[in-house]
Amino acid sequence: MDAAAEQKYDYGVVRWFTVMSVVYLVVGAMVGVLIASQLAWPILNFDVPYLTFGRLRPLHTNAVIFAFGGSVLMATSFYSVQRTCATKLWSNRMAWFTFLGWNLIIVSAVITLPLGITSAKEYAELEWPIDIAIAVVWISYMFNFIMTISLRKSPHIYVSNWFFLGMMVMITYLHVVNSLAIPVGMFKSYSIFSGVQDAMIQWWWGHNAVGFYLTAGFLGIMYYFVPKQAGRPVYSYRLSVIHFWALMFGYVWLGAHHLQYTALPDWTGSLGAAISLAMIIPSWGGAVNGMMTLSGAWDKLRTDYVLRFLIMSLAFYAMSTFEGPVMSIKTVNALSHYTDWTIGHVHSGALGWVAMVAIGAIYHLMTRLFHTELWSTKLVNAHFWTATIGTVIYIVAMWVSGIMQGLMWRAYDEYGTLAYTFAESVEAMHPYYAMRAVGGGIFLLGALLMLINILMTVAKASSEGSVQRARTAIAAA
Amino acid sequence: MNSLRDYFNTDWGAMTATDWFGTILTVVIFLLLVGLFVHVLRPKNREKFESRKYIPLDEDETVINGDNNGG
Repeated sequence: MDAAAEQKYDYGVVRWFTVMSVVYLVVGAMVGVLIASQLAWPILNFDVPYLTFGRLRPLHTNAVIFAFGGSVLMATSFYSVQRTCATKLWSNRMAWFTFLGWNLIIVSAVITLPLGITSAKEYAELEWPIDIAIAVVWISYMFNFIMTISLRKSPHIYVSNWFFLGMMVMITYLHVVNSLAIPVGMFKSYSIFSGVQDAMIQWWWGHNAVGFYLTAGFLGIMYYFVPKQAGRPVYSYRLSVIHFWALMFGYVWLGAHHLQYTALPDWTGSLGAAISLAMIIPSWGGAVNGMMTLSGAWDKLRTDYVLRFLIMSLAFYAMSTFEGPVMSIKTVNALSHYTDWTIGHVHSGALGWVAMVAIGAIYHLMTRLFHTELWSTKLVNAHFWTATIGTVIYIVAMWVSGIMQGLMWRAYDEYGTLAYTFAESVEAMHPYYAMRAVGGGIFLLGALLMLINILMTVAKASSEGSVQRARTAIAAA
Repeated sequence: MNSLRDYFNTDWGAMTATDWFGTILTVVIFLLLVGLFVHVLRPKNREKFESRKYIPLDEDETVINGDNNGG
């Protein structure tokens, strides 16, 4: 029991963010499995407008990215900034404002998206009043984080805090610019950008949501939690500094690779692809840095199931940061774009990298925050295998389906007419859509096992009174 | 496009103030990045940077075995 830490730091809000993140993981994955099943078996739309694919798909992405991902980022950053700066949060009250505000935004998304209230911007579907609320809550989060760093006891700011801070600054900038709109009612607005500029701003935001929110933020998690769980310092601190600055400089250029062969000037897409390829170097440097942290202690992977999640996530990080740049090259993009290959790529990053590194961090946090062992380590192991197998089935299904789709769409006969109708390509994809739903279902099963384990750990801590004992042990001392 | 020269051909006269501002800023940031890489990778700075990797472990005063992991 780390009674000193319990007394020294503000853990209450971190505990809530941590537990809620697991709830949102289950909800987000559940909606994902439903919409994946709808694509395979359309009868599952039930002819109810609120449950149709078009309305639930943004609910799925918002739930996993902002509800699950946001809660994990806020839990881990508020925890690690206190630990690495050896100080409490600048304002515990403001952290609770961030928690309540973020959860209210999630509730508003759950209500408005199934009702069809949307700005129609990908990964930024919420309407203008909610966009303003996001900006306010996000700035409260960033301000509290910066002020906590300013209170640090050591002169140096550890690299994980740099990654978190880079994410916070860039997401503020990206969210505000991308959400600029003219309201025409309480629940309807139109983007101030139009035509190809609107598309460019959309993907400048879209790819940087991946680059800064889902990569930089989660690298902050990696640089703190991998060394902590392994009990060893990161392999090379200098490499981490280079990783950080290369990522910050490079990522903002990539969005244009989403718009190859469109009205966007040709050179812009080429530039996006060129920088995408260059980004393989820092990305792989970071992945190797994380993995080599285990250098000389690989045996830990046999017994430490939490560490398995963290290291497996780095393997997926390396894989998807290679696959993405390859897909951005024009000749590959001509085949891959608008197909399910993109969906497979996104999920190798989302399930394999983001979810797994987050899950590892959450299991690590649970024992430290609740001052007790996990309810079941066997369930953690079962979760690891379901998450890994589910992810692999999912992405393999989408790779095969996507490449087949691309080849069918561009096949033509000796007379120059298309060899297949669009409906024929949809029919050919059916087995892979079913396979994707099964893969997602297996991943969801793992998330449910995690939720059970987390809730039982909380109940165990409650019955043992471990949190209370940690608080009073210090008081007695 | 017939050659690389055509591909990289630029109508400098058509550059607006915004174009120049963006171009110069990008080059300056790129040069700063190169300078940073040189600074970080200089052998004499190695110890200073690598000593900071123990921060997450030192916070518990449980540095494990004094491993340097070769970094």
